[in-house]
Formats: sequence, structure tokens, C-alpha cells
Amino acid sequence: MTSGPYNYSYIFKYIIIGDMGVGKSCLLHQFTDKKFMADCPHTIGVEFGTRIIEVAGQKIKLQIWDTAGQERFRAVTRSYYRGAAGALMVYDITRRSTYNHLSSWLTDTRNLTNPSTVIFLIGNKSDLDGQRDVTYEEAKQFADENGLMFVEASAKTGQNVEEAFLETAKKIYQSIQDGRLDLNAAESGVQHKPASPGRPLATPPASRDNCTC
Amino acid sequence: MPSSDSENFESADEGQDHIKKNVRRKRISSSNYSTDTSEAEPVCDQVLSNSSRDTNIEKEKQSDGWDDFDIEITTENEKHPNAKVLSIKDASSVAKKDIDSIGTGWDDVGDWGQVEIVDKIKKDEVPKSLPKPEDQSNCDISEVTEKLAAASTKSGWGWGWGVDSLISSASAGITTITSQVSQGISNVLETSIGAPEPEELARKNIKEETNKEVLSDKVSELERNDKKTEQSSSAESTFPFGNLLSGVTKFVESTGTKVIAGGLDTLETIGKKTMEVLQDGDPGLAKKRAMLGLDSGDKPVLSQILREAKAKAEEEDMIREEKKEAKEVHYENLFDDFEGLVHLEALEMLSKQVNMRIEERMRSIEPEKKQDLKETLQQVAELCEIPEDEEDDDETPDDTSKPEAFHEKLQTATQDLGLKLQFQPLVKQYTDVLEWLSGDEQVGEKAVYKRAVSSLAQATALSVEIYHKTAEMLLVKPRRSTADEADALTQMTVVLTKHVSDLATAFTVKLNSIAADNKQQINEYATNIFLESGNSSTYIQNAFQLALPILQIGAV
Repeated sequence: MTSGPYNYSYIFKYIIIGDMGVGKSCLLHQFTDKKFMADCPHTIGVEFGTRIIEVAGQKIKLQIWDTAGQERFRAVTRSYYRGAAGALMVYDITRRSTYNHLSSWLTDTRNLTNPSTVIFLIGNKSDLDGQRDVTYEEAKQFADENGLMFVEASAKTGQNVEEAFLETAKKIYQSIQDGRLDLNAAESGVQHKPASPGRPLATPPASRDNCTC
Repeated sequence: MPSSDSENFESADEGQDHIKKNVRRKRISSSNYSTDTSEAEPVCDQVLSNSSRDTNIEKEKQSDGWDDFDIEITTENEKHPNAKVLSIKDASSVAKKDIDSIGTGWDDVGDWGQVEIVDKIKKDEVPKSLPKPEDQSNCDISEVTEKLAAASTKSGWGWGWGVDSLISSASAGITTITSQVSQGISNVLETSIGAPEPEELARKNIKEETNKEVLSDKVSELERNDKKTEQSSSAESTFPFGNLLSGVTKFVESTGTKVIAGGLDTLETIGKKTMEVLQDGDPGLAKKRAMLGLDSGDKPVLSQILREAKAKAEEEDMIREEKKEAKEVHYENLFDDFEGLVHLEALEMLSKQVNMRIEERMRSIEPEKKQDLKETLQQVAELCEIPEDEEDDDETPDDTSKPEAFHEKLQTATQDLGLKLQFQPLVKQYTDVLEWLSGDEQVGEKAVYKRAVSSLAQATALSVEIYHKTAEMLLVKPRRSTADEADALTQMTVVLTKHVSDLATAFTVKLNSIAADNKQQINEYATNIFLESGNSSTYIQNAFQLALPILQIGAV
């Protein structure tokens, strides 16, 4: 829970995806709390984190959806991609299988998000270089081929964690500036708040109306 | 009160028109409001209807013969529209044109100015005899006296420059006037040409004038004053209208005398045109002057402005503070902060997704089985109807605490759900709230209210999270038992809605226990708390309804 200043101009929705145990929740905690959680429990469905950052003088609230990596939740988590402005796709540099599954994650992301969604590839656990199973070059090539941004990061040391989240936000913000990302589109993953005093845009009445049961 | 007449004439013969203008305005306003006239000029003009303004001018005409000259000036001014073209910056051209206007001014005096003035004076002899409100004249006179005295000081210099050394120092003079007008009448003279502060001289003048009872005595006095000011202006007094002064005095002594040197007009024209020129270059000047209070004689205007600005800023601060405060106790914001909103959003996404799957199944199914499917869905929905009058009056046993009882009820309600739900955050929050409420610490009603709204928002957010988690886990649950699940979730909803209402009650009890003088405020808070608890119940029931398709899909 993040209480505090409501004076941000944008809300960006992020989604963190990737195999179980690659460190998605730890990356999130490192980013929001600047702490490393050694024994992070398995995520059920989706958990959330928020942080307000600043890009080009604009305060942006990142609403981060940290999905469960367990295969059994795959169907559930697929429901959550929609409307993500940024997708952080994580693999574990010490486990090749997590890297091999990237194309599947990428397919989901492409299918379930919109074309303007910024996809950032993170090779986590860069602190465990001795146990490296995937080279930087290989992953970099994969990223380049698929037009992804890429860094190797460590949720444990915090290395490149900030960068990954912030660079994604900058890219999204740039898309807004360039007009590539339509703020009015229902699933842009970006909410613009013209006035600083913050009332959440997705107001409960709207939620009720959408209830089709 | 000294008679203002001699003052007027002293000023008149030296023709500082912009001062006079101010004086006149001031009188208009003061005679209307009988108050301190720090009002802005434009305001006066707007407030006064034309007719009333005319009346005022008429009245002033009655009290002195002064305004007549001004009327003349106006006419003359219209005859020299070219003066308006002048720009302040172009000092040399200003000088030239001023010379022109002086020349014509003289001509005018010779040709017609004098005659006209004399005519006016004749006309004015009639109203002069009319009675006139004493208080108004007193008020006017005192202010006018002061103003004109100030004017006269400057006019000494004005002469020196205006006529004598005009050609040599014209550009410098214009600059001086410019800065004089924009920076303020009082001190610029002093700084630019080393003349004594006009106000000081004005005060001296007033003092001197006060001593004079007889008008004729003033002739010499005025001349002395004149000399003094001219000396101080460091301009050699080669006063070409030397006899004008005595002429004016004579006019005062016997209004019938037709000895008026027309130089007055010229001087007024110069002054007036200068003012126009200056105002042309700075359209906001009149406004600025009014704002700075230069037009009224009194000083405290700047500090007054600052004081008002400070008061305004403080007021804005207060409003901002209140807004911030309001935001702090804003239920929706708090609900968002406790992640209630995002859980609700996620639950909604799941709900939609599952609903689509149900509809898909409905389309793909054989027509004869379609009705069965519909019935099944309907049955599940009916199971999820919240019993209307389930008033569980089971009182909490004495040996268990309220949070424990709450936890127990939640577990009992959901035991057939087949999931391991996390109620600890909700129970812990309840514990914390009760602890806070039973604390001996003296808390104000506002603190209780804030805590109440925050607690309700948090309890609701945690409840919504439970529905969201339940939905997620039900969707990955290997074996479904829809009837049990539906029943469990219905019971859980009852427990949770009761919980938020219990929370609200606990807070209002605390509120009412506060011995406050502001009973109305307390009632208002209590009402709001119950309102938000109703809001909370709605959120919880909505979350439950969103979970319905997840229950339904387990049955089809």
C-alpha cells in the first residue's frame, strides 16, 4: 500500500510476466521498497505494487501488476494483460528453461496487449554470474530481433532494476508525446489525470456498470 | 479652515494640470462618499453617473472659480489633437511639440481664452451666491488645499522648466516628468532636480496659509512661496507671467475684475497634454497610479495592499490545507491507497473473461441442453442472493475477543469453500482499530473521523482483495463444488458487510463519547461514517457479484 501524494499526471499500468521463480516479485519489491525479499512466497494470481516516478518533469504513478508465474495460473494471469502500457518480461540468467519460454511469453504479450505496449526484457539474477546459463549476447540478440528493450538486472543487489522500470516509463511517455499512444484508447494502459488532485479514474460506479452478471 | 481660493489660484497660475485633475477627481469622490479617497480613479468614474459627476463639478464651481479654467483647457486641448501623437520615448519631439503648444497657447490667450474665461466667471457669479453644504466644502477644501499646495511646489519648477529653460532642457524635463509620473509625485522631483520634497513644502504652505486670514495678504505670501520653490528648483526665475499672479489674486478679491492673464490656459494645456502623452505611452498608468494610491493624498495604501495580499495568501493557504485534509479523509482515495481499487479492477477483468467463456459455451452447446445450462446458471445466481433478514443476533461470547469472533465467523462461513483464504490482515486491522478506540489517549472528533473513514476504506479494500483472491483460486481449483462455494461466499459477504457496519458503529460510539462543544460537527461526522459504511457494503456486495461468474463456470 502506498499512500501519499496524489498529484501525479499519469497512471501507467505495468505487468510483470515470466516463469515461476525468475524473481518477478523480488524485482517489484526492489523497485517499490528498495529491499530484497529473500524468501518471497509464490504469487497467487496477481499482486500489486505502486510507485510514483518522474519523467520529463511529469509525475507518473506506476501501477504494477505482478503476475503469478506458476503454470496453473496462466489462464488467470492472461486476463490481466489487457491495458498494460508496459510489460516487463523476466527470465533467470541461471536457468535456461526460463529463457527458452520467452517466446511463449512474448506471444501472449503481443496477443493480449496493444501494439504500443512497451516490452522490456529483464535477465534477472545478474549477481549470480558464476551460475550463468544464458549469455548476455544471446539474450541481447533475441531482444533486438523482437524489438525489445533489454537489461540484465539483479533484484538482490538492485542493479539495473530502477533503470528497467524507468526506461520503460520513458519509452511510454515518449510514445504519448509522439502520438503513437492514444490516451483515449480504452486499453492504452495510460490514464491521464489533467488536474493534480487525484481521484482514481476507474471509479467504482463504472466497475458496477461493467458487471455483466 | 483657510479659504481654499488662494491656494487654488496659486496652483492655477502655475498650471500643473495633472495634479489638478487628480484633485478634481478626488473631490468628486470625496464629496460623494465623504470617506478617505483611496479608491481608484476609474472606479470613481464608473461609480459616478454622468449626471452626478456634473453635479459635483457644478458644486465645485460654486465653491471656487477654479474648474472654469479647466473647462477652457478642455476646449483648447481639443484644438490641439496633434499633441496626442507624442511619445514619451521621443523626448526631443515632445519638446518641440510642447513649444508649439505653448505658442498656440499664448495665441489662444490673446485671441479668445481670456474672453471666454471672463464670460465664465460672469456666469459663475450667479451660482456662487447659492448656499452650499458646509461639511462637504470643508472636506473638499482641506484635501484640495493639500493637493494644490503640493502642486504649487512643483509648479515652481514647472515654470522654470516649462517656459524658461524649456528649449535647453526639454528632453531632460520630459524624462523627468515621465519618471515623476510613473514613480510617484513626491520624491522624483527631489531626486531628479534636487528640489525639496513637495509634500514638505506643501505642509509649509498650508501652515503659512493657515495664518492668513485676509486674502490680500496672500499676494505677497504667494510670491514668496513662488520664489522659494523656484529657488529650490535651481532654475532662475524668469517668470514671464509675473503679473499673472497678482491678476489672479485680484480676481479672487473682486471676481468682477477682468484681469486674467491667459497664461493659465497655456500652462494647463501643457500639463494636460503632458499627462495625455504620458498616458498614451503607458495606458496602464492611470490604473497603476490608482493602484499605488498616488492619486490619493494619503500614504498607507502600499502597506494596506501588502496587508490585504498577506491576508489573501493566508486564506488561500487555509483553503489548500482544508483541501489537503479533505483528500486525506477521502474514502475513494484511501480505498485506492489500500489497493482496493486495483483488486476490484482485476476481479472485474477475471469476471468478464469468465463471462465470455460462459457465453461461448452457451453458443456451442446443443439447443436442447441450452435450457439446462441457463437453469444451472440461474440456480447459482439464486444461491448467491444475500438473505434479506438474516439478523444474526448471536452475541459474542465473553471469553473471545471481537476480532477473534470475527475471524471465527469468517472461517465458519468459508469452511466449505475448499480454499485457504487469508483473513489475518482483516482481523489484525480490526484488532488495531479496537485497540485504538479503547485507548485512553485523548483524541479529537476529527481524528476519530479520519480514522473511521480510513479504517472503513481499508477493511473494504481487504475484503475486495479476498473476493479477488477467492476468484483466482477458484479458477485454478481442480474440483469445484459450486453449491458449497456459493453458499460460503454468500455467508462471507454477510459477515463482511456486518463487519463494516460494526466498525462504523464502534467509531460513532467513540465520537459521541467525546465531550465536544461542537455537537453539530460530531453529528455530521457520524452521518458521514455511516454513509461510508454503506459505501463499503456496496463495494463488498459488488465484489461478490463480480465473483458470481467464477462460481457459475464451476457448474457448467
